Amino acid sequence: MDLVANWLGNLPDAAVPFALAALGLIISERAGVLSLGAEGLMLVGALAGIGVQLAVHEPGIALIGSMAAAAAVSVLFAVMVVWLRVNQVIAGLALVFFCQGLTGLLGTLLGWTNQPVTGLDAIALGPLVQLPVVGRLFHQNAVVYLVPFIFAGVVFYLGRSVAGLRLRAVGENPQAADAAGIPVLRTRFLAIVAGSALVGLAGGYIAVISTKLWIAGMTGGRGWIAVGLVIFARWSPWRALAGALLFGGIETLIPQLAAAGIAMPQYFVLMTPYLVTLGVMVWVALAKRGADETPGALGEPFLREERR
Amino acid sequence: MTPTDHSPAPRRFVPLLERRYTLELRQQLGWPQQVAIIAAAIAVGLFISGAILVAAGVSPSDLLDEFIVQTFTDPQNLRAVLFQAAPMVMVGLAAAMAFRARFWNLGLEGQMIFGAIGATFVSLHQIGPPESRLWLMAGASLLGGLAWVVLPLALKMRLGIAEIISSLMLNYVAANFLLHLVYGAWKDPKDSFPYSPKFQPFERLPEVFDGFSSAIVLAAVVALAAWWFVDRSRAGLYLRFIHANQRVADAVGVPVRRLVVASVLISGALAGLGGFMVAAGQEGRLTQAFYSGYGFSGILIAFLARNNPLAASVVAVVVATLFVAGRSLQVFYQIPFSMVQLIQAILVVCVASSDFFIRHRLRAVGSQP
Repeated sequence: MDLVANWLGNLPDAAVPFALAALGLIISERAGVLSLGAEGLMLVGALAGIGVQLAVHEPGIALIGSMAAAAAVSVLFAVMVVWLRVNQVIAGLALVFFCQGLTGLLGTLLGWTNQPVTGLDAIALGPLVQLPVVGRLFHQNAVVYLVPFIFAGVVFYLGRSVAGLRLRAVGENPQAADAAGIPVLRTRFLAIVAGSALVGLAGGYIAVISTKLWIAGMTGGRGWIAVGLVIFARWSPWRALAGALLFGGIETLIPQLAAAGIAMPQYFVLMTPYLVTLGVMVWVALAKRGADETPGALGEPFLREERR
Repeated sequence: MTPTDHSPAPRRFVPLLERRYTLELRQQLGWPQQVAIIAAAIAVGLFISGAILVAAGVSPSDLLDEFIVQTFTDPQNLRAVLFQAAPMVMVGLAAAMAFRARFWNLGLEGQMIFGAIGATFVSLHQIGPPESRLWLMAGASLLGGLAWVVLPLALKMRLGIAEIISSLMLNYVAANFLLHLVYGAWKDPKDSFPYSPKFQPFERLPEVFDGFSSAIVLAAVVALAAWWFVDRSRAGLYLRFIHANQRVADAVGVPVRRLVVASVLISGALAGLGGFMVAAGQEGRLTQAFYSGYGFSGILIAFLARNNPLAASVVAVVVATLFVAGRSLQVFYQIPFSMVQLIQAILVVCVASSDFFIRHRLRAVGSQP
């Protein structure tokens, strides 16, 4: 029982980065831009978050710093893929390595590596904490409680608002959207920057709230897993949230099992998130339920003068 | 950006910002202009990188002298560059082979790891007589790399799963498997460091003419073979067809599936051979992080070389120079090795962006609404 209680208690903390990063990616991919750069933007968010936190000791401001830094770096990517029409795979990969190099360099030069920071205290939600087994679910930091609201906001925006409808139109059929008077390039540009801010928040959360430390390359592939998660979720935010809970659950289950004395070869355990991502993609491909929900123009640049 | 107004009416000057611009697709641009644009992009990239290094505390004179003049004039440094270039050529060719078949093989590092594991397996179990051991190790590395690309390839061909994610995920799996070996069963019992026992002298890539590793000769041979394959063979011609338009190629009877499978398997095998070159050439054993940085370098090399094997070999030497210079920066200036990644990324960004000016032009259409 203790095992389950601990596992449930740690699960949200592990799920938040996956959830926020996937949500950010959904925004830009719904506008038709394939965003492979998540791993890099998360690193930028993580480093900027630690930097701000070391300066002001205010986690809320540090997380805003994470968002701003990732959004700023994503402008480079947006200029490349939206205006200069660079191949989105090449641009995304270049962005990851740009960010890995940049954060590795700055982390060392500025001396932010291995500097512990104070994170956020957990807030108990009144008597709910007293519940057996699930009680620790209601003893989380403020960001965890905020995540459902962020999701609800994005779901409302994408699904119910005129601006969200336009964004999806741009991702489905930019030619038609253009004919309807929607500024395709501007919409895509803003979708990238807004989505990247959420990805940066995911990175900042890992560094400032979870590990309370910056180490080069600390996101360890979580950005790539988020890219896979978006495919799993078929570009639906709620399914992405469910997927994030699944991945967070697996990530936290393993140390719990180890702590409970169940011996497992360490490095095979470390493989599991990646193998699960693969497994989930296979499952999605085999299931193929419902219609193909891939945004129609995902990965395709738009140029009005180009007839197709 | 001069307005090209074809009407006979007298032109009146319109301030630059008040003109309306439209984008036009260019007809084919002549190759001298293309080369000039790419060269300018690389120059811009190098300038930005140099500026970052100077800002990080490297003195500008050292930058020029130590890392450019010294590298190409000092025979010792030149040897180091060529030594480093051999596995670079392999990952560059590996990426180019896969990209020619429109397969985003981002699993080069995992395939390198399994190539090196294959070679080390042959060494540890002393398979075959000493005189043929090195060949067996090379063969095992080809098989190891090939085996590690089979899964993402099969997933793509059978289930349509994006190879971008699957091949990348497998890098992390391979890296952890490598750690499992070098911290576990294959650990050198002599000390507590995470690496395998040293290979025997005859299991190392020998030196040929005056201290140059035979790895570079092997790389040159493979590069020529790859060039023949993509440029001269029928299969290479078909691959170009597939790259241009897979559906049409299929419709006119090109064996698309077989060729895609073949070139992706070759890609994995070449990356595996690159792993063998690092293990049996540079390190002389299986080490825990020998692969890091090669995956992206391979993609960068193939991208900059436009998937041309001979051009890839040249670019690989340049990237190898960057690696060698990066290591001396690390030693002498404590600049982290991630600087090398950063410079590579900046170069890719510049060259990729410059492509825009090759394919399009801005045209001003006057100020009238």
